[in-house]
Amino acid sequence: MVKVDDRNTTVNEARFESLLDTAADGIIVMDERGRMLVFNKICETMFGYSSEEAVGKPVNLIMPPEFSTDHDRYVRNYHRTGEKRIIGIGREVSGMHKDGTVFPLELSVGEAVTPEGRQYIGVLRDLRPRRAVEVRVSQLQAQVVHMTRLSAMDEMGAAMAHELNQPLTALLLYLQAVTRQIKNSHAEGQVPSEKVLGVLDKAVTEAERASHIVQRMRQMVEKRDPERATIDLREVVNEALDLSEFVAQSATVTIRRVYGPNPIWVDADATQIQQIVLNLLRNALEVAKESEERWVKVSIGSDDRSAVVSVTDSGPGFSEEVSRSLFKTFSTTKKSGMGLGLAISRAIAQNHGGDLMADSGGSGQGATFTLVLPVHRAAVDEG
Amino acid sequence: MGYRMYFVVEDDPAVADALESLLEGAGLEVCVFGSAEELMRNGLPKANDTMIVDLGLPGMSGGELVRRLGKVGAAPRVIAISGKSSRTIAREVEGINDIKILRKPPSADWLEAITA
Repeated sequence: MVKVDDRNTTVNEARFESLLDTAADGIIVMDERGRMLVFNKICETMFGYSSEEAVGKPVNLIMPPEFSTDHDRYVRNYHRTGEKRIIGIGREVSGMHKDGTVFPLELSVGEAVTPEGRQYIGVLRDLRPRRAVEVRVSQLQAQVVHMTRLSAMDEMGAAMAHELNQPLTALLLYLQAVTRQIKNSHAEGQVPSEKVLGVLDKAVTEAERASHIVQRMRQMVEKRDPERATIDLREVVNEALDLSEFVAQSATVTIRRVYGPNPIWVDADATQIQQIVLNLLRNALEVAKESEERWVKVSIGSDDRSAVVSVTDSGPGFSEEVSRSLFKTFSTTKKSGMGLGLAISRAIAQNHGGDLMADSGGSGQGATFTLVLPVHRAAVDEG
Repeated sequence: MGYRMYFVVEDDPAVADALESLLEGAGLEVCVFGSAEELMRNGLPKANDTMIVDLGLPGMSGGELVRRLGKVGAAPRVIAISGKSSRTIAREVEGINDIKILRKPPSADWLEAITA
């Protein structure tokens, strides 16, 4: 009997060893007093200690010093109160490599009651690779946003040049008029009249109009890192609408704005949100232009959880088939490659913890695109 | 030298106003219209008048207006203004003879160009 038991134990141990070494995550078993009993292969690479070095040592060995005091307190607290802060929950913690490098870890902890007392099993995952991917994704997204912004600028370039031409023309003509009048009054020995000052004022207004256009262009083109801030969604959307209204000045589509009187606060990158709105608007305007009623409605609303921007056009809506492929990258029903815009817009929205949805409309109803963003919450949760 | 009116047909209010200031400041008689249609409703320019017309008017274009006036026998001296590319301008004034083009924004004194 005893022999069979022994053999079973040996088999179990062998299995356990092999399990530990094959695991893709770091595994540590710790006793009640915080000493490490098991330190698997992944842990060896993760922390730079060999299993022989680590086993028998306190778990504080692999923690940054400022965490290890806290850790001792947590363990004591758990033993006293039984209140579970991490067991069965898992959380993000910091680990320290033998060389002193501190890095983020995802840690989940389980508990086993053994004849030798309570033991804790920790499963650890190095978060650095995931972080690196996240950072890269966010960089790429910013880059793509920049690129779509540039291509939007390309389309707008002609319109912008035309818009700049008007204030510059008026400005130069005012100045020509003033110059003439001043020369005349000078020749007649008079001081320049009120009228001259009036014309100069107008000249300044036109110069400002021109510089405004340039500033807006610059904001569109300048590349920058994503910047989150708490912003009033109405204001951000309004700016985007002003911009496209001014680009599409000669177009005959009416843009209706349906907003409430109160600010709607969201935590977002204003330029990226405007990019989404511009994108939706450009699509809607294009569709509305071909329709009979020629309008685009932009409404903004919110409840206590999310804020919503909806863009509806007066067009005929689109088919099931189109709506299925709508958000696929590079899919488009138009030549200008709007599909890319929609896919990116949705990615940006999701990056903000929101989403972008399409209602295909049809049977007399135009399509509606809805951007959802979580509303700003004053710091509620702690830890 | 006979009585001469200057008709300005320009949809951008600031450009129209600036042109008016420039011409009136030189003591010329000016009449401003925001569109070709408005001009057509309000009496046509005569042969010894000058019409300064923006080619890119909304509604009836500047080129179209000049052709219409030619057909009804009202043929003022025409100065076209435009901010578009030279190729676009050439297309827009195709078939119109004796048309002077001023491009926006001005690179020289427009009063001299207009009254020359």
